[in-house]
Amino acid sequence: MNAENPKPIIVLENLVKIYRQGKLEVPAVRGVNLEIKSGEFTAISGPSGSGKTTVLNIIGALDDPTDGKVFVEGIHLASLSRSALSKLRRDRIGFVFQAYNLIPVLTAFENAEIVLALQGVAVKDRRERVMGLLADVGLEGMEHRRPDQLSGGQQQRVAIARAIASNPAVVLADEPTANVDSSTAEKLLSIMEKLNRKQHVTFVFSTHDQKVMDRARRIIHLVDGKISNDEIRE
Amino acid sequence: MRVFKMAWRNVWRNRRRTIVTIAAMSLALFSMIQYSGLMTGYLHGMERNILDLEMGDIQIFASDYLDKPSIYNRIENPGDLIKKLEAAGYHASGRLKGGGLAAGENSSAGAVFRGVDPGQDASVSDVYKHVLRGEWLDVGEPAGIVIGRRLALSLDVDVGDEVVVLSQAADGSMANDLFKVQGVLKSIGEEVDRGGIYMIDQTFRELMVVPDGVHQIIVRKPPTVPLDKATDEVASIADGADTRSWRQLTPTLASMLDSSRGAMYFMFVIVFLAIAIVILNAMLMAVFERIREFGILKAIGVAPWVVFKTVITETIIQTGLAIAAGGILSIPAAIYLSTYGINLSSMSGASIMGIAWDPIWKSSFSVQTFTGPVVMLAAIVLMAALYPALKAAFIRPVAAMHHR
Repeated sequence: MNAENPKPIIVLENLVKIYRQGKLEVPAVRGVNLEIKSGEFTAISGPSGSGKTTVLNIIGALDDPTDGKVFVEGIHLASLSRSALSKLRRDRIGFVFQAYNLIPVLTAFENAEIVLALQGVAVKDRRERVMGLLADVGLEGMEHRRPDQLSGGQQQRVAIARAIASNPAVVLADEPTANVDSSTAEKLLSIMEKLNRKQHVTFVFSTHDQKVMDRARRIIHLVDGKISNDEIRE
Repeated sequence: MRVFKMAWRNVWRNRRRTIVTIAAMSLALFSMIQYSGLMTGYLHGMERNILDLEMGDIQIFASDYLDKPSIYNRIENPGDLIKKLEAAGYHASGRLKGGGLAAGENSSAGAVFRGVDPGQDASVSDVYKHVLRGEWLDVGEPAGIVIGRRLALSLDVDVGDEVVVLSQAADGSMANDLFKVQGVLKSIGEEVDRGGIYMIDQTFRELMVVPDGVHQIIVRKPPTVPLDKATDEVASIADGADTRSWRQLTPTLASMLDSSRGAMYFMFVIVFLAIAIVILNAMLMAVFERIREFGILKAIGVAPWVVFKTVITETIIQTGLAIAAGGILSIPAAIYLSTYGINLSSMSGASIMGIAWDPIWKSSFSVQTFTGPVVMLAAIVLMAALYPALKAAFIRPVAAMHHR
């Protein structure tokens, strides 16, 4: 990879998403063209209903576009089967959700470890990796706690550890600070920024939180499903 | 992934629902094991009563006896035939039969006289064990008779009372004699209960002037030989006679026993279908309340097969616990019911299609009595869990995560 001019890991070509509710058609994304390069710390911002989450879901292969093309690391998502998409999500994409979305019956360690276990990583290696990540996100000593024994901020840290455990090409974070107080939000952002700078993890946020936008090095502003502004702040 | 660990923890997330589900399955299994044991006991009891008390497995008659049951239609030289049958591994004993009138002090009733050799007859019939009052026949008491319980009521006689027997002897003379009631039988079957008089064969011969031959030979086969095969073999030994299996002699009864078995399986299916609905409901609730979680699992790359396996493993865990609980509870109940049974003395004397029904209804258990309901429960529960498991496995992540 050329550090000066990294390859785009996400490419959206004329992306369209229309939701159908009976006979009613609700366009959520209307022809978005976008390239996100490796190592970016990008925020997709916009008001509610502007299509931020929809774009993130489509990039993450959680939802299908109505029209247009999506490429992740050069792979056209429409060409993949369901199981291949599942594998792509497991190996190349990390998710951080607004509602944390941890598995309630698993401990912090097990939640962070789950993707590595699915990949068949050896027990010793995954233990080492996960313990290191939990330490990185400030959860040392809390690995045996279940989600209901953790605060919202702590749960989101576990979610971040889970998202980056498998060294994904990109972490898609949907409103990651929406459910935590501002001091926790700052801490979470610092963790993600540190991971971005030190481990070169690519982050793409959907957000309307000013704190996230202040830290982002690129802000893509969506209005009514279209990019109204794309600002790079290097 | 640790599917079992996750499934185990999921099972105990809603402890109350899990316990109710397991309890419902255990109760169904317990009920079906006991029902199966009781029905098997009932059917075995019926069959035993038919075979052990009345009919034996196979009967041999003179060639036209069944068309014209007459005192004159007899199997000649029964001793030779019985020896041949015994040499072939069968137990056999001849009986004499004739009809007439029996009279007590104040009343009389039609009766069927049966002349038996008490020693030989014990090898083919347990009727001697079914004496309600008094004693079974004794060759030392040639004037002693054992009579059916309803006949005793009709004649208003009991043990020690005298009964006059009237008939037409084989030589055309009037057969009449005075007998002493030596015993009154328990309920055996309609015919014996209402009019059966057992007497020593020699007494019968003297009364009815039948110097030789018998009217029927009762044959018992070794338990391992199938009835059809045994009937064919006995028929070939008793060449020229009319050989019939008990199923041929009482086809309605045989078909009733067969259909009772069918009804038992039908009952199984009904109860287990009801249980399947309970399980389906429980598993659907368990899946739908976790639909977001399945969405998350799918989102982070868990394959549909693993999600499917998790839900099925949860079902297997619950079914396994239910089988353990239902099975363990069933053992003492099965021992009690097969040892002491259910006392239905108030129905004493009841008969089904002319066959006595033992008032102590005992269960009959075998490995199949347990494995049948267990296999059926497991199969039906797994079938009920298939839909929720597939639903969880193939749900679209984005739809699942937005599920409220």
